[in-house]
Amino acid sequence: MPASAGFVEVLKCSACGALDAGPREICPVCHAPALQPGKVPGAGSLLSWTVIRRPPAAFRAEGSYAVAVIELDAGVKVTGRLDSPDAGGQLGARVVLAESKNGVPVFRLA
Amino acid sequence: MRDVAITGIGSTLFGKHEGRGLESLAVEAANTALRNAGVSRKEIGALYLGNFIAGPLSGQEVLAGIVADELGLENIPCTKVEGACASGGIAFRHAVLAVSSGMCDAALVVGVEKMTHASGGQVTQALNCAMDNRSDGPSGLTFPGLFGLAWRIHAAKYGTTRDEVSSVVIKNKANGLKNPLAQLGAELTFDVIRQSQPIADPIQLYDCCPVSDGAAAIVVVAKDRVKDAPDLPIDVLASVQTRGSPRIAGHRDIVSFDATVKAAEFAYRAAGLAAKDIDFVELHDCFSMAEIIDSEDLGLVPRGMGAKWAAEGRTRVGGDIPINPSGGLLAKGHPVGATGVGQLYEAVLQLRGLHANQVKDAGIGMTHNLGGSGIACTVSILKRPDV
Repeated sequence: MPASAGFVEVLKCSACGALDAGPREICPVCHAPALQPGKVPGAGSLLSWTVIRRPPAAFRAEGSYAVAVIELDAGVKVTGRLDSPDAGGQLGARVVLAESKNGVPVFRLA
Repeated sequence: MRDVAITGIGSTLFGKHEGRGLESLAVEAANTALRNAGVSRKEIGALYLGNFIAGPLSGQEVLAGIVADELGLENIPCTKVEGACASGGIAFRHAVLAVSSGMCDAALVVGVEKMTHASGGQVTQALNCAMDNRSDGPSGLTFPGLFGLAWRIHAAKYGTTRDEVSSVVIKNKANGLKNPLAQLGAELTFDVIRQSQPIADPIQLYDCCPVSDGAAAIVVVAKDRVKDAPDLPIDVLASVQTRGSPRIAGHRDIVSFDATVKAAEFAYRAAGLAAKDIDFVELHDCFSMAEIIDSEDLGLVPRGMGAKWAAEGRTRVGGDIPINPSGGLLAKGHPVGATGVGQLYEAVLQLRGLHANQVKDAGIGMTHNLGGSGIACTVSILKRPDV
């Protein structure tokens, strides 16, 4: 596997430097309307995951898929996907960004 | 602030009401509550109606005014309240505020939802309106999924097992068998639950509350204006409301909801009570794992012990802290906007000593209603007047 993990798109406050998973209107730390698009390395650890077997109507065509909450090493928590419904791992497992699909980061076990 | 009491209560059955609309259910519950409230319709100074998804599922809004018109109330302020699954609890709190502040002497609370006419996909999609759809929604997460995420963390931190979680389901389903309003009481076994369909791993079918129709109603009255109530008026010691993060990733810890922790803290303080004083609780068990987290967040069960206490029988009627003697959302049903009001209905019956699954000597009861992924919460504490 390549060492590069790709980058996850986040928001960065140009006033105070805070990072946020977004989308958001104003900085959650200093409240300045100064959030700008930014990127952080797509490496982190698996906080938890589940396999959605009864999707809402909008996702029905996809069948089962795994949703995960990832704590990125940059200090931002994001809700995303794992790359396969059988991809699950131990909580705390290392993950890297595999791709971004419709703006949702998709991770795989590192 | 004036003291407030609940005098009138009403409820439909929770379950499938084929061919009946939201208005019909709401009016049935509200008219029952009004007829046994000991106040005239002219004295009702405000109506708060809790509802979540009448818009997407039935194409009907302005329900508060429609219901007031049906009931023959005056030209009073009629407000529909929305806070996802906490809509009913929030409606109650606003009615209590309207009376305790002196704005009016009596107020009507109604909670209503109609869901069973829609397809499973439509219902899931409509319920997903309770997420922050800028962030969690696009991932395809669902509410069972949220509690699947929570389950894995609870299991890793506290060693919680499938069968311990099943103890919550078995207890609530058995309680539901005794409740004449309940939709899905049942006698279940660990095996049946273990073999049920997977929904959002590790959540399985029996870990989920059913899709329901139903309505419940409550009349609150200033205590110094309670005169001819036919049934025992029940004191409202506290009714508080908080918010938490709209996003999964915004929670510090996915096995605890800040909104519940804070609401419990404020409610205990307002009532001058502690967790040990609570005789029973009706809490928001939309999923088995939710009951476990809620019971810990409310301080009723030690942190990490929610499932183990259920397995040891400490949360059943007759145990240390009876949780959901009504059957809870898992067995009684979860007509979303009605649920918080339905919990208060159950608590009033317990405190009057009239419940079909009575907690012995119940003097102080708590209700807990949680909305979305922990974005909105209400906690109320009620008391029998002679305690």
